[in-house]
Amino acid sequence: MKTFQIKKNYFNAGLPSQIIKCSLLSAAIFLASGCSSLGVQPWERDLLAKEEMALTSSPIDSALDDHIYFSKEASSGGKGFGGGGCGCN
Amino acid sequence: MKKNPIRQLEITATDDGYCLRFYAMASPCEVLVASKDNQLALTLGELIADEVWRIEDKYSRYQATSVCTAINNSGGQALAIDQETYLLLNFADTCYQLSDGVFDITSGVLRQVWQFDGSDNIPRGIDVQKSLENIGWHKVVFDEHQIIMPNHMEIDFGGIGKEYAVDRAMIIANEFTQLPLLVNLGGDLAANKPRKNNVPWQVGIEHPGFIERKPMVVSLLKGALATSGDAKRFLFKDNVRYSHILNAKTGWPVVQAPRSITVVAPQCIQAGILATLALMQGPQAEGFLTEQEIKFWAIR
Amino acid sequence: MQLTHKKAPINIKAALTIATSALLGTLPVIANAADDTMTPAKAQQESSWDFESAFLYYSESDRVSAAEAVISAQKTLENEAVLNLKLTIDSLTGASATGAAAQPNVQTFTRPSGKGSYQTQAGKTPLDDTFKDTRVQLNAQWTQPLAEKYTGSAGVHISKEYDYLSLGVNGNLAYDFNNKNSTFSVGLSYFQDTFEPEGGIPLAFASMPLAYDNDDDEYSIDEGGEDETVNSAGKTAFNATRRTDSDNKTTADIMFGFTQVINRRMITQFNYSYSKVDGYLNDPFKMLSLVNSEGIAQDYLYENRPNSRVKQSVFAQTKYHFEQNVIDISYRYMWDDWAIDSHTIDSRLRIPLSGQSYIEPHIRFYQQSAADFYQPFLAQSNAIPGFASADYRIGEMSAYTLGVKYGMKLSDGNDLSFRLEYYRQDPKNSGYQAPGALAEVELYESVEAIIAQVSYSF
Repeated sequence: MKTFQIKKNYFNAGLPSQIIKCSLLSAAIFLASGCSSLGVQPWERDLLAKEEMALTSSPIDSALDDHIYFSKEASSGGKGFGGGGCGCN
Repeated sequence: MKKNPIRQLEITATDDGYCLRFYAMASPCEVLVASKDNQLALTLGELIADEVWRIEDKYSRYQATSVCTAINNSGGQALAIDQETYLLLNFADTCYQLSDGVFDITSGVLRQVWQFDGSDNIPRGIDVQKSLENIGWHKVVFDEHQIIMPNHMEIDFGGIGKEYAVDRAMIIANEFTQLPLLVNLGGDLAANKPRKNNVPWQVGIEHPGFIERKPMVVSLLKGALATSGDAKRFLFKDNVRYSHILNAKTGWPVVQAPRSITVVAPQCIQAGILATLALMQGPQAEGFLTEQEIKFWAIR
Repeated sequence: MQLTHKKAPINIKAALTIATSALLGTLPVIANAADDTMTPAKAQQESSWDFESAFLYYSESDRVSAAEAVISAQKTLENEAVLNLKLTIDSLTGASATGAAAQPNVQTFTRPSGKGSYQTQAGKTPLDDTFKDTRVQLNAQWTQPLAEKYTGSAGVHISKEYDYLSLGVNGNLAYDFNNKNSTFSVGLSYFQDTFEPEGGIPLAFASMPLAYDNDDDEYSIDEGGEDETVNSAGKTAFNATRRTDSDNKTTADIMFGFTQVINRRMITQFNYSYSKVDGYLNDPFKMLSLVNSEGIAQDYLYENRPNSRVKQSVFAQTKYHFEQNVIDISYRYMWDDWAIDSHTIDSRLRIPLSGQSYIEPHIRFYQQSAADFYQPFLAQSNAIPGFASADYRIGEMSAYTLGVKYGMKLSDGNDLSFRLEYYRQDPKNSGYQAPGALAEVELYESVEAIIAQVSYSF
């Protein structure tokens, strides 16, 4: 679709985004390889076991937020699926 | 051990409640209660300590006046028993059946030949064989009202008494209060609910004899923990370590058993039996528990 | 020794459970799996339904407002399978930006149905005030351990509104390793949506037709008269701008995730998502103003977007438990082949007030660049491009949300929480020169909204 590109202003967007992509990916790879030294023993999960330490601690809040931002912004998903689901976009 | 220390209750304040300490069944005992009410904590502690001491008095083989001693001295005559004793014997019977005779509360007489003092003092096969003559739960006859214990045989509630006391203490406490509490009788313990909302109890599990090991800390929301195995009690000869877990059928120690197993279960007595039954599996101890989907920690 | 081969192992546990309850005079509690007493969720495994409900009200100043109610029921079954059912109902009313530019004069627009028209005052951003929709959504998700270390999940989704139907399926597989401290997951989802807007789907770049019937009552009064011929000709003219009654869109997503426990206080997550959307991606209600060199609208043309879009995103989240507080920070970078890229930073800090309540401030920043075919208006002097949309939601924009949540545990153990948030969008000019009159009006009007929510779980 680049053929129809009729504007100017994002010439500078390419480089930072590449850097972000690379650094995030390399961070993930680094963590994946070094993960065996990370972590806790089962009996050290007292804090992690708490509801508020769950990655999605309020699923309903998240779903409602996703719905709002899906219908108001051009991005969706990331944490979970950002697929369709409503005609709000 | 055979002499009763003074029966007293100590109370100390903790971060979010009180800790009550007493001594029973040859172990330091504690009750943690999450309440700022000093009087309530003290009453609760008294109730629990009294129950534990009651069970100790009733079922300790070291107490001359205990039911246990009476049974062991009944000289082959029928002896009347109460409902509680019947239920305990019934439970012991189930464990005997489940373990196919490996777990047997009459196996205590083997102590006469096996002295687990860390030495190389292995008994002669013939002496072990002789002891076996006085072992065998199947020879004991009992019903709801009486027990007939063959002459020269003995029973011993040591394998289940402390865990039973934990469960009884918890029942007594729950009748009295809904407050979160933890009862710990020398490492066999139970909690009725999380300390606070979703805040587990942090429990240090001591493994006597493993001086080099730090106490293991376990988070427990509710339920019970029991530990079986005791590293101080073993024999060592010709590079073989003889654990104090004896197979009641052979009279010989279980070989290649973990030094200690800690099991999680809803009730303490379940946890205790599962830990003991697992140890009796020797090298397959961990596999036995894994297969049953039971949470445990083993130290080898 | 004899234990394992003489008796089925599972019998020992069950038999002990019964023996224990006989001894203690208690109800049998099954000595269940591994983590039973170790995690709060599993500790309460007695299979009753857990319910969560929420009511949310979203209101933009002068524009859309929406009310949304959710009830979710979850049950853990004996084999550790978890079934979650969720019902969502929402209702939308109010006015939504049409894409047309504000003008120094009053503008008249045909309603999307073709039946009737509405006016926009001078200097105001044109809003279509006919938005009114009710949506019902059902989700079912089944999650269960598949083998040691593997957890599988599958779900279905159905959402129906007056003019829209969405059907979806998803599947996810997670693999735990390193003592459950690390988890890899892969998920797939597929949606099939059908859009059947009132008034049909307009042709790309068709001129907005004239309204052919202002009012049903009027129609019946003038029965058989001249008006009917006008109306029927009007209807024919309107239909000439329509391509079809309904159209479809499919969305296929794949997501790879990695979760890692760092230490007792910290957990992190990384996701990569790839999403391909195909089919009808226009908004049938959105238009562009076609302006002359003075910036005065001469016509309104329906928008046209490409019929496919590939979106990708990377997402990172970390949670850290301080002595008391818990901080949750996440970042998302999204990019697509429409040349949109976006950054989202979301952070929450949960501060316990007592054992029973907490307060949680929330800040979110969002920034996106414009799609390459986005333009706020079409100029008569230029040729009509292949694709164009003036929908501000795919234009350059920044947005932020400020919010606070207050939650408490009630004496019966149920949770109650309140959330209040302020959301503001600031569309930006990504470099367009506004000719004549357009320079005098606000082309990039900010949108402010309030979000209020009450949640109750029981």
